[in-house]
Order: sequence, then structure tokens, then C-alpha cells
Amino acid sequence: MMTRIGIACIALAGMAGVCHANDAEEAGLALADATPVQKVDDGKYQFSLEPGLRFATLRPGGTRTATRLSLDLTARHAFSNGWGISLADRLDLNGPWRFDGDSGAINTLKELYVDGRVGSGSTLLQAGRVNVRLGVATGYNPTDFFRDNAVRSVTSVDPASLRENRLGTVMLRGQQLWADGSVSALVAPRIADRATDASFSPDFGATNQRTRWMLQFSQRVISDLSPQFVIYDDGKPGSSPQFGVNLVHLVNNACVGYVEWSGGRGPSTLARALGQPYSDVAFRWKLATGATCTTSRNLSVTLEYDRDGAALDRAGWQALRNGPPAGYAAYRTLAAAQQDPTTRDGLFAMVRWQDAWIQRLDLSGFVRLNLADRSRLTWLEARYRFARTDVALQWQINAGASSTEYGALPQSNLFQLLVKHYL
Amino acid sequence: MQTHSMARLSAAAILALACCTAHAAPDPQRILAASDAVRNPSEPFTLNVTLTQYTDGKQTDSNALTAYSRINPASGQFRSLIRFAAPARDANKLMLKSGNDLWFFDPASKATIRISPQQRLLGQASNGDVVTVNFAQGYRAQVEAEEDVQDGERQMRRAYRLKLVQSVSDMTYHSIEMWIDTTDSRPVKARFFSESGKLLKTAFYRRFQQQLGALRPTEIVIIDGLNPNLVTVMRYADYVAREIPDAWFQSDFMARFQPE
Repeated sequence: MMTRIGIACIALAGMAGVCHANDAEEAGLALADATPVQKVDDGKYQFSLEPGLRFATLRPGGTRTATRLSLDLTARHAFSNGWGISLADRLDLNGPWRFDGDSGAINTLKELYVDGRVGSGSTLLQAGRVNVRLGVATGYNPTDFFRDNAVRSVTSVDPASLRENRLGTVMLRGQQLWADGSVSALVAPRIADRATDASFSPDFGATNQRTRWMLQFSQRVISDLSPQFVIYDDGKPGSSPQFGVNLVHLVNNACVGYVEWSGGRGPSTLARALGQPYSDVAFRWKLATGATCTTSRNLSVTLEYDRDGAALDRAGWQALRNGPPAGYAAYRTLAAAQQDPTTRDGLFAMVRWQDAWIQRLDLSGFVRLNLADRSRLTWLEARYRFARTDVALQWQINAGASSTEYGALPQSNLFQLLVKHYL
Repeated sequence: MQTHSMARLSAAAILALACCTAHAAPDPQRILAASDAVRNPSEPFTLNVTLTQYTDGKQTDSNALTAYSRINPASGQFRSLIRFAAPARDANKLMLKSGNDLWFFDPASKATIRISPQQRLLGQASNGDVVTVNFAQGYRAQVEAEEDVQDGERQMRRAYRLKLVQSVSDMTYHSIEMWIDTTDSRPVKARFFSESGKLLKTAFYRRFQQQLGALRPTEIVIIDGLNPNLVTVMRYADYVAREIPDAWFQSDFMARFQPE
């Protein structure tokens, strides 16, 4: 219809040399005439409140209801010459109805650091607790080395939530930038011996239990290819420095392909879990590779293959499931704390649809499939965005036989209603 | 005698030149470049952009952002770093656009994600709509007509109607029909088309104000071509010339960016 009007306008222009706005254009201009000036916050701080109601069906039977209130604060105070101090903190308060093992309050001091620029602005320094997150993959990030022990309170299994609500690591970090590349170095010192569950602890023992360092380098090779190389040492018994590579490529106008790889000598996850980190040291590698494609209706689909060479293969996992419960529990606990896959191979698929059917309604979901035991985790979310408030309904399904990765979880279904309000 | 001959020859040459100049076809690429210079400062700059989106006459969404733009000396095209300021849920998120190299950074999850040109971050507005673009660097222009056209303020203006066809692969639109004022090179109106010839958007450039040494449009009204009931009003304010290092336009910098 609009095209026809446009053609008519052009045809008319050809004859008479005059082109008037059509009715639709007039209506659009009239809306613009009446559009008020938009007031914008200065953005120095963000504060949100998120009450949540959770309902779970349990294995082998029964149900449980839980309530939660989360408070999230991000603030920055700028000094002169590009220097400033930043804070990010989250407090999860669990109500009188809560799930087994949840404490009344868990505070996560995500970030507290001073940063700034030196000289012309190409040299950057950072000191304090910083959440450094590397990796281009969606479901699993082998080069996101600082994810170890970083999550204090799991409020959602959505990968974005797990990355958002985690502890930073205390470090000194410097970065030198040039036109098409950069190099950065960081050192994270040992501060405390062990992690703690204390509600309001900064929990330096979770993130700074030993001295760690990392070097990172990236350089544009051709027009749209800028590989990133990483060397990282975690200082753990049995580990050598690990190498990492991140690579992203635009396949066409709609698709982006990615490869994330890390490798180095180290023990298996099982050997580390059993306290024998020198027993099976070998070169092991981890990989996440996949692609995200977006349709013209803004629906994005991601398919990803994940491999963890330090995790158990199908036979090893089967043997562990049939073995002593203590070994099984230690292995599962360590894999969860490291945010590593439980078994060697897995598939991840995710769909995100912004403005699905109606504006402001976002639909998303993902499936993790364990290829060794065929168990799967499914997560679905519908989120409606009001001006300052999000209302979200989430449904998590943990499916599989007993003692499998997802079949062993105590909740078979978890429903969560969230209302997030930005002040 | 010699002097007279020289004078006659000179006069003839000037007349011939004037005659040729009067009838020479205007250079469409120059017209387009002059129009780009009206829309965009040539030095690195920042500006604040607000977007108000309407569906069926009702406001359905609004966004505010700050753009940091600088010409890439290699391509002559702008590179832009966009910081979202509103709504609150999107505050301090970043988008980097350098040709087809598009990245998105979320300060909450610290994720720096490469996105495809087709992925939209701003509702009905495409990412290409909010970044600074020099059309002359991305399109081959041709003058189709010189005619009167109604501008965004409902005034009639004498304008060149240019047909622009994509000449490099990373442009948001395949072709554009653009009206440019014959007297001051200001952009008046544009129609944006897909490769199949479908009208995607119509834009009116209006509310011209003095910004960074030139009279520039500070409002663009975008009417969707497929559904004319979708209207986006983009307003530009607070143009400031400032030094923006080339090194800022890479994904590794996004996590370190701090607004000033």
C-alpha cells in the first residue's frame, strides 16, 4: 500500500515536478510535532528491586514454594581526568518460605574498583574487585577463567543471569590499546584461604584463594576478523598455564559464527575433586563452537556444541554414577562450582525473540543436552517490559534418569514469577 | 589590434565556459557529499539522541543514547560507539559499529557479543539508523530529477531527487531515494528500499539548527514503509567536538569504556 503511494507520488512528481507528503507521512509528521522532550537520568547509579515467587515440584514427590527479594545497585563516581570509582552489589533475601539449603540473606559484592586512563587515553588501569569475563560463546565459556567459585546465589540458570550475579576478583589490571588491537595483563593476589557462606562476607576466599595472572592480546587481522589470544595461570596444584583463543566471524547479514577454545596441561576434574591433582596430569582442551542467526523479525537462534576434555566421558560418567556416592557428590560439587560441564560433550540451543508478536514482549528459552546420559535442562521465559518494570515468568524443567546430570537435581520443575522494578 | 583580439577571445572563452557551466549536469556524488557535510560534522564528535516510537498513534517505546563518532581514515566512513542512557534497564549498555563489525556490550553480564547487521537492539529502529553514516562513501548517486518537494516543516523546497545504490556491502539499505535542497544542500526527505525494491522507511529531516558550525537537522521522522502506523522520532542534541581515540572503536575496549 505504502509502496503504491510512493510510486504514485514519484509518478506525479515526474509529470508536475512536485512531490507532496502523503497521508501516512502527514500523520507521522503530526506525531513528531507533538512529541515532548524526553527527560533522561544522568546514569550515575542504577538500583533495582526484584521480588520473586518460586514454586517447585520435587523428586521423588511433593512441592515447595519459596519467596525472594533481590536488591541490585550499580554506581559510579567520576573523579577528574577520566578516573573514577565503581561499585556493583547484589543482595538476595530469601523469605520465611525457602528451599532447602538457601540462607536468609546472601550478599554478592560483584565489583568495587578504581579505574582510569593514563596519558592520551590509550593506557588503562584498574585496581580492586573486577568482574573480568572473557569468551564469545553463549552456553559455555572455556576462556572465562574467572568464573570459578564466583556465583554465591543462583537465582536463575539463564547463562546471562549466572554471568551477571557473580563475584569479581581482586586484581591489578593494565591495558594498552592501539587502533586495531590491544594487550592487557592482570595479576590477582591470594587474599584468603577458603570460601565462606557467611551472608555479608565479601568472600575473597572464593575468588582470591591463590595468586593468578592472565595475559590477553588481540589484533585485527583482516577487515572483520580480530582473534583474541589468552594465557592464564590459576596457580592450582597440577595445573600449567592455559592458552585460550576467541574467534568470531560474520557469516552473512544474519548469522555470526564463533569458536572459543582453551587448552593446557592439567588434571581431570575427577582427579581434582578426589584431591589427587597430580595423578593424571595431561594436555586437555575445552571448546565451545556454534552460530547465532537472526531472522528479519528479530528472532535469534543459537546452536552450540560444547566439549570439556577435563570432564568424564560416557564410560567414566557411567562408572562414577554406579560408584561410591561420596566421589559422585565431590565431582558434581566441583563441576558446578567451576561452572564446567559434568560430562565431556554437550549441546546447547537457545532462542531469543525480542518484541515477539507484540511490542515489549520478549520470549526466550534454551535447552542443554548431555550427550553422555541424555538428560536435559530446559528453560523458558516470557518477559514483558513496562517503562520501568519487567514482569517475567520462567519455567525450568530438569529431565533425565536418576543420577544423570539433570535427572539428579532435587527439583523436576521450577516455576518462577519475577517483578523487576528499576528505580 | 592584438589587445582587442585577446579581449574578444577571452570574452568568448568566458561565455563558452558560462554556457557549459549553466548546462552541465550537476555532479550527483558531490551533491550527496555536500548533504553528508550538512548532516555530519567532519571532526570527531559526540551527540545525544532520543528515540520516541509510536504504533497506531500511541507511544510504545522510547530510548535515549549518546553517540561517539569518528571517521575511519581507511574507509572514509564513520565508526560509532553508542552508549544507551534510557530506559533504566538498558542504561550503560554499548553498541559498537564499524562497517559490518557490530558488537554489543552489557555491563551487567560483562558480555561482549558480536551481532549480525540484521539483529535490532532498538525496537523498530535498525542499528544503522542511529549511527552516523556518510552516504557518499557507501552509495553511488545519480540525479533523477530536479523538483519541488514538501519538507518536514510542510514547506515546498526545490530539490534534487537522487537515486542512491549501495556501492559497498556494509550499508544498512540497498538503495535510497533522496531529496536534497538545490540551494543549501540540506537533506529534505529520503526513502529507503530493500534489495527487492520494497519501501522499508521514509525519513524527513527537519528542525535545522546551528550545531558545530553548520545548520544541521536535529530531528528525523521515520515512517515505516511496510506498516505506516509505526513512526519513530529521532532527536539530536548537544553536538560536541571532542578527541575520540581510534583505539576506542574495538570490542576489547567496550568493557573499559566509562561515560564522561
